[in-house]
Amino acid sequence: MDVFFQQLINGLSLGGIYALIALGYTMVYGIIELINFAHGDVYTLGTFFSLAILTLLGVDSVVHGPALIGVLAVTILGAMILCGLTGVIIERLAYRRLRNAPKLAPLITAIGMSFILENLMLYWRGPSPVPFPQVIPNPQFALGAVTIQAKQIIVVLLAVVLMVVLQTFVYNTRLGKAMRATAQDKDAAQLMGIDINTTIALTFLIGSALAGAAGFVSGMYYGSTWFFNGFGAGLKAFTAAVLGGIGNLAGAMLGGFLIGLIEAMTTQFISDQWSNVVVFSVLVLVLIFRPSGLLGESLPNKV
Amino acid sequence: MRLSSFSRGVLAAVLAAAVAGCSSSGTSSGAASSGASSGTIKIGIDLPLSGADASIGIPTENGALLAIEQAGRNGFAGGAFKLEPSVLDDAVQGKHDPAAGAQNVQTFISDPAVLAMVGPFNSNVAKSEIPLTNDAGLAQISPSNTNDGLTIGDAAKKLRTAHPDVNTYFRVCTRDSKQGSALAQVAYQRLGFKKVFVIDDNETYGKGLADVFDASFRGLGGTVLGHEHITSNQVDFKSLLTKVKSLNPDAVFFGGNTSTGGGLIRRQMGDVGLAQTPFLGGDGISDAEFEKQAGDAANGSYMTVASPDVTKIPAAKSFINAYQARFKSNVGPYSASAYTAAKIEIAAIEKAIKDNGGKMPTRADVLKNIASTTNFDSPIGKVGFDANGDTTSPVLTLLHVVNGKPQVVDVIQLKS
Repeated sequence: MDVFFQQLINGLSLGGIYALIALGYTMVYGIIELINFAHGDVYTLGTFFSLAILTLLGVDSVVHGPALIGVLAVTILGAMILCGLTGVIIERLAYRRLRNAPKLAPLITAIGMSFILENLMLYWRGPSPVPFPQVIPNPQFALGAVTIQAKQIIVVLLAVVLMVVLQTFVYNTRLGKAMRATAQDKDAAQLMGIDINTTIALTFLIGSALAGAAGFVSGMYYGSTWFFNGFGAGLKAFTAAVLGGIGNLAGAMLGGFLIGLIEAMTTQFISDQWSNVVVFSVLVLVLIFRPSGLLGESLPNKV
Repeated sequence: MRLSSFSRGVLAAVLAAAVAGCSSSGTSSGAASSGASSGTIKIGIDLPLSGADASIGIPTENGALLAIEQAGRNGFAGGAFKLEPSVLDDAVQGKHDPAAGAQNVQTFISDPAVLAMVGPFNSNVAKSEIPLTNDAGLAQISPSNTNDGLTIGDAAKKLRTAHPDVNTYFRVCTRDSKQGSALAQVAYQRLGFKKVFVIDDNETYGKGLADVFDASFRGLGGTVLGHEHITSNQVDFKSLLTKVKSLNPDAVFFGGNTSTGGGLIRRQMGDVGLAQTPFLGGDGISDAEFEKQAGDAANGSYMTVASPDVTKIPAAKSFINAYQARFKSNVGPYSASAYTAAKIEIAAIEKAIKDNGGKMPTRADVLKNIASTTNFDSPIGKVGFDANGDTTSPVLTLLHVVNGKPQVVDVIQLKS
């Protein structure tokens, strides 16, 4: 039973990272119905940006006390801002002109963007895994035979907090209302005086910033990264968004945590190599019975 | 890497077309056509030279380059022919890739000046290359492939598709059935591990080695608590390692390479509280990249190299000195093996030129000479090949990582 709870912790931590990435997929899909394949790579870029910021700050080992809060804030916010800007630039350069083109054109463009980002990172940091410094002290808490690491708590907390902030923003602010309106009907929203270009850019900014936060968290959690990291994680996160109901924020979060848990439990009770099979089998089953995902609604109430 | 491998593919196709065009018109630029008494002869080198595999691939390449340069300086074939290396990288996105290896071999085959090749480094790459060299009659010697199926049994016969009775593939290192069982003996008898957990990367080399280890360890009376296969590009091993921890093994065995998960698994063992549990592997994790990726957790790992420890062999002294003078770095685990592979090929080519009256020999002449190699003096000892293409003097070096550096524990002579 101990090992079950230990795997629960592992699954939630992994799921927290998936959830943060999935939020970006689901927001972009919600607003322009584009599967932004470059999103997984923006997430990896987040890890590399965090690494660059830490190098600039001269941090390569554990930081204690108030300095830690400063370092964390600068690094996370820096990675979020840089990734957010990257997202905006990608939207402006690659997707905006194709907004009214047939659906396949922006989709292929997104795959192309993904390759471009991967190769840029390859050029930047080389093809080998790059170590990520251990910046936070990592005390372990023992609950019986189950140990929880501080960084696991941070992953889950950050994911939940950012999701709540996002949810509040989308449902309780004017800009959020503009996003929901654009998602429902671009033309009508424009007639109501909403600048849809700005609104869509804002969506990319927020979604990519969340990927930046996930990138930092992943570097901290695994202690290393490499340029191709985003491919696998992006695929899982996209699956999480579909599982939870694409376009639905809480659904993306739920899907992320579920997939993390399914992977951990499959590894424990069946076998590691079956974890992907089980994840995608669950996805297929859910989609058969609930084609719009677990929390998805058939009517567009999406962002 | 994606882009470069793509452009390399295009280049290979264009080159192949160009060479085909040349040979039909009768003249080929630079390369000596068969029967000429001067010109350029090339030895192909196909190894993973970028990414996570580069830390072991480049020192291996250097070994082969050194042999070719020395031969050139010492008046190769009486000075009538120029000897050159033709080097290609089979890593795509930082990892050895069978399709890239096959493409590289096609490039060698379509260049008539290439009379033999050194490589590949990885067993799954060899699987895609052997059918091509078999078809073209181009001899290849691998410094490091250890998978049994490349030389032994039905698996090896199936690779020789075009000419089932001709063998073009040789290796100067031992096989995994020997490496795996030697590792099992080391683990069980020497290190005293009674219960182990086995993980492999599901590749030709990794799974092959892990299966042999698994069976041998049980055969000695040990317990294998579980045997799991990881998937390509996996980065999260915490769930798997939590499961491993709950079974409380004496050691964890990994069949695979650093680039296919070995380094990250060892690093994450520290995260789940398995830092004190020894990590055991074959020659796939004997590269410097392993210590880099695993970080502090690398300490306490054991691994073997399918070659002798040349720093301990008096006959290898001049090789080591020449290597260090030329490359300003220390020899890698497979540098001497690649040097030996290239030396054997050079000797075979020189003999073929002599037998051909000083004229450009054919690939078949070279192949015949390589196959009959016996008692060849080299930094890794006296080397010869049996009918399968395997070395007649197999040897393993056991390493233990202490303070982030692998230390030689022992050199194990195996029965051929």
